[in-house]
Amino acid sequence: MSTEKLALTTNSSARKPASAGGASNALAADLTRALGPRKVLSNLSERLNYRYDAIQFGATPLAVVLPESTEDVVAAVRASRAAGVPIVGRGAASGLSGGAAPLEPGLVISFTRMTRLTIHPERREATAQAGVVTLAVTEAAKPHGLIYPPDPASFRTSTIGGNLAENAGGPMCFKYGVSGDYVRALEFVDADGEVHRLTRDVFDLAGLLIGSEGTLGLITEATLRLIPPPKFTRTLMAHFPEVGACAEAVSRAIAAGAVPSKLEFMDRACTNAVEDYLHLGLPRDAEAVLLVDTDGEDLDTVQDELRLVEDACVASGGTVRRAATDDEGAQLWRARRSVSPALGRIRPQRMNEDIVVPRSALPDVVREIRALGDASPFRLVQFGHIGDGNLHPNILFDPRTEDAHAVHDLAHRIALVAIRHGGVLSGEHGIGSMKRDFMTDAVDPATMQALRGVKRALDPSGALNPGKILPAEEVMVDG
Amino acid sequence: MNNDIPVQALGGQGEVMAHAVDACVHCGFCLPACPTYALLGDEMDSPRGRIVLMKEVLEGGLPLADAAPHLDRCLGCQACVTACPSGVPYGELITAFRGWSEPQRQRSAFARSKRWAILKALPAPKLFSVAARVGQFAKPLAPVLPAALRGPLDLLPESVPAMQPSAKVTPARGVQRGRVAFLVGCAQQALAPNFNAATLRVLARNGIEVVIPDGQGCCGAAALHTGARDEALKLVRANLDAFNPDDFDAILSNAAGCGAGLKEYPMVLHGEPDETRAKAFAAKVMDISEYLNTLLQNGELEPPVPASRPLTVAYHDACHLAHAQGVRAAPRALLRAIPGVSVLEVPEGDLCCGSAGTYNLEQPELAGQLGARKAKNILSTTADLIASGNIGCHTQIQSHVRRQGSPTPVLHTIEILDRAYRGEL
Ligand SMILES: Cc1cc2nc3c(=O)[nH]c(=O)nc-3n(C[C@H](O)[C@H](O)[C@H](O)COP(=O)(O)OP(=O)(O)OC[C@H]3O[C@@H](n4cnc5c(N)ncnc54)[C@H](O)[C@@H]3O)c2cc1C
Ligand code: SF4
Ligand code: SF4
Repeated sequence: MSTEKLALTTNSSARKPASAGGASNALAADLTRALGPRKVLSNLSERLNYRYDAIQFGATPLAVVLPESTEDVVAAVRASRAAGVPIVGRGAASGLSGGAAPLEPGLVISFTRMTRLTIHPERREATAQAGVVTLAVTEAAKPHGLIYPPDPASFRTSTIGGNLAENAGGPMCFKYGVSGDYVRALEFVDADGEVHRLTRDVFDLAGLLIGSEGTLGLITEATLRLIPPPKFTRTLMAHFPEVGACAEAVSRAIAAGAVPSKLEFMDRACTNAVEDYLHLGLPRDAEAVLLVDTDGEDLDTVQDELRLVEDACVASGGTVRRAATDDEGAQLWRARRSVSPALGRIRPQRMNEDIVVPRSALPDVVREIRALGDASPFRLVQFGHIGDGNLHPNILFDPRTEDAHAVHDLAHRIALVAIRHGGVLSGEHGIGSMKRDFMTDAVDPATMQALRGVKRALDPSGALNPGKILPAEEVMVDG
Repeated sequence: MNNDIPVQALGGQGEVMAHAVDACVHCGFCLPACPTYALLGDEMDSPRGRIVLMKEVLEGGLPLADAAPHLDRCLGCQACVTACPSGVPYGELITAFRGWSEPQRQRSAFARSKRWAILKALPAPKLFSVAARVGQFAKPLAPVLPAALRGPLDLLPESVPAMQPSAKVTPARGVQRGRVAFLVGCAQQALAPNFNAATLRVLARNGIEVVIPDGQGCCGAAALHTGARDEALKLVRANLDAFNPDDFDAILSNAAGCGAGLKEYPMVLHGEPDETRAKAFAAKVMDISEYLNTLLQNGELEPPVPASRPLTVAYHDACHLAHAQGVRAAPRALLRAIPGVSVLEVPEGDLCCGSAGTYNLEQPELAGQLGARKAKNILSTTADLIASGNIGCHTQIQSHVRRQGSPTPVLHTIEILDRAYRGEL
């Protein structure tokens, strides 16, 4: 990793602009002329706030646009093209890979005011502008007897645009799939400021935009599939004296034929961080806690499935507790959703991994990562959507007293464990700038060339979110 | 959040601020909780954004004047504190920051005199009462007045009742079960004297002797939260002198804002000689609903007379009860303890009503939008009564509910309990 990037990951005060206040640059002035002052932020105090996401601080943008319509986005893209500066899309900035943090000064387009949402119950669809908060889709669909299943832990905050750009998943994704699986159509603005409306046929261009982290186009609107909620849901919590045993229980349950709707795991440090926050009475001494939902139309089947999971947990040495009421189940899930931010109580900074490995390899991977953490000077914690083999090993550190290079090195070794076991670098948080350097380990050179070809086709000048996903190329100057 | 805040140069309050900034991991979980973010949809008017702005100012990278407009829009409702999984003490940060930054602020003569008037009038019940009466006459003129003057008028209830001084000691009725000290509050005495009267009656009925110690004054919260730290410190010390925590089972307040203010004393005096005294004091402070709920939970609450007909009550969570003090269950439990009463939850219940101390005066437009939204949400429950535990919310909600054409009574939780005891519900 370059020293400059290290500076960004560890030092919040990196790259402060010298000048303060005022629409001091031509870009901001142009934008204000095109869009009016309400939608353009040019003061330093305003712009400063658009240089970070939930993991990283980047460069202060030259201007920020808060569009209210696709036309506003088009105008903003055209103005920044004319000024020759890069564009970074931004939703709620809850991203965990540095995706929405600009690496160089340019334009940030923040979608938080594009919140138009329409439910079409007869088609079981929702049309959502990019800035609609994920939870709002389900809330709006509920009165019509429908839900929107993708449920990242950040669903109260994150936006549909950000979810699709990251192809976000959540606990429900084991049975119901990730954000991208619910997209019927997509509207996006390309690097030239052209508007495109895509469905999922012919070339699945929509699919290409999903998970592209704002590097191929700016998503302005999506048509999302809604489903009726399962009639019955049952929740179970199991705890284990050892992390590998927890992973074994998962493999065993799935091999036995269970298809739980959610399967989540957290290790002891996570459980304790959450317990400090919520005081739910979680087992503080257990090395691993597993949370499982089964759901469906028929209560007997739902119960049978839960029993399969329960048996698997017991067979792997776990202790099982079933949630007696829906409320208790909801509390347990609240615990899981709070893991990631609650870790902030332990150390101010963290390096967040997002690996996915084949389920059969889970017990080994979890143990190997545990061992790497134990051998390092850092606090390492693990949690994740274990049903999919999606793990989030997190290295917690204090940038003032601990060595960021060593953190990065440990993260790299964790990534290599995943790759060695046939896994990938990102399940849902994206590559962003945080894991960009690991891409060469994960992707062979020919595939990398194909990826670069796609990027060039859609964004020839490299204006869209430069420095993300694809490692810098010697021969290319600008992405 | 990593920072270079010069803690040494800032003293005790610097530590408070740096600790809060440290704790924030900029995850954004607080965004949906924030009323100003809900209205404005931009990062600078969100908790996370404000934390960054304060950090930048404290580090010297951003002029205070640039950050101020966004910090001024913060209601201090602390909804972000409830929402934050990392335990960032945002309330302490903004309070300490306002205290630190106020002396450096440049304000217009008009703004200065308005602030001065508020700070003088709020803690002086008699003065406030007179001012409120004058305002009463001006109210019909509101539509033609400039917004800056309309705000204060919105704060006033429909009629300003006569002041009712409370007895220094209210003896317990029947067997005495406890002895408490009571903070009578300031604006509230002028605007809603019945809150205190009802409080004394309900406590006495439950066998609690209530003492109103001499020398007590305003809790200091209004001064503190508008950045008038020296003013606030005077008030805080006066109260520490007036109340001896050892003499009482509890120190009670029936105004959420004041109660939260009293519980903040240790933070205000962090690193100062009076800190220990403040801790002993704060440990005894309880909201009236918390105190009565402990009686209820111990099976010691005098059973209220059943309501004459089934009644629904929309309970409004005052920010300074729910978020600042974490008191949510107690008032609901007390209301439910009245046979025939059921409690309804208000949609968007966690969103501030926009009253927040002097917010109506400082940010009339946002306060108005929030008030209207709150009134609409409350009225959507079609409840028979509206309850809250805070004078500020009370006047704000009443004013907006009336504006939306509803005659639904707005009462303090304790007034409803009092009515039940008197067989008037
Ligand atoms: C506590 C916590 C828990 C989390 N849990 C999960 C989880 O369970 N599952 C999961 O998948 N993620 C999780 N995340 C990560 C994050 O919430 C998701 O990646 C989310 O989808 C990001 O949405 P956002 O609106 O915040 O996007 P941002 O963070 O603002 O942006 C993310 C990326 O998308 C791009 N982008 C944003 N909007 C657009 C647009 N309209 N068009 C094009 N590009 C755009 C940005 O440039 C950036 O690259 C979690 C994050 C936190 C802080
Ligand atoms: S929720 Fe807490 S940690 Fe997260 S951004 Fe808000 S204040 Fe910071
Ligand atoms: S105190 Fe209230 S208004 Fe202020 S930042 Fe927190 S949630 Fe927003």
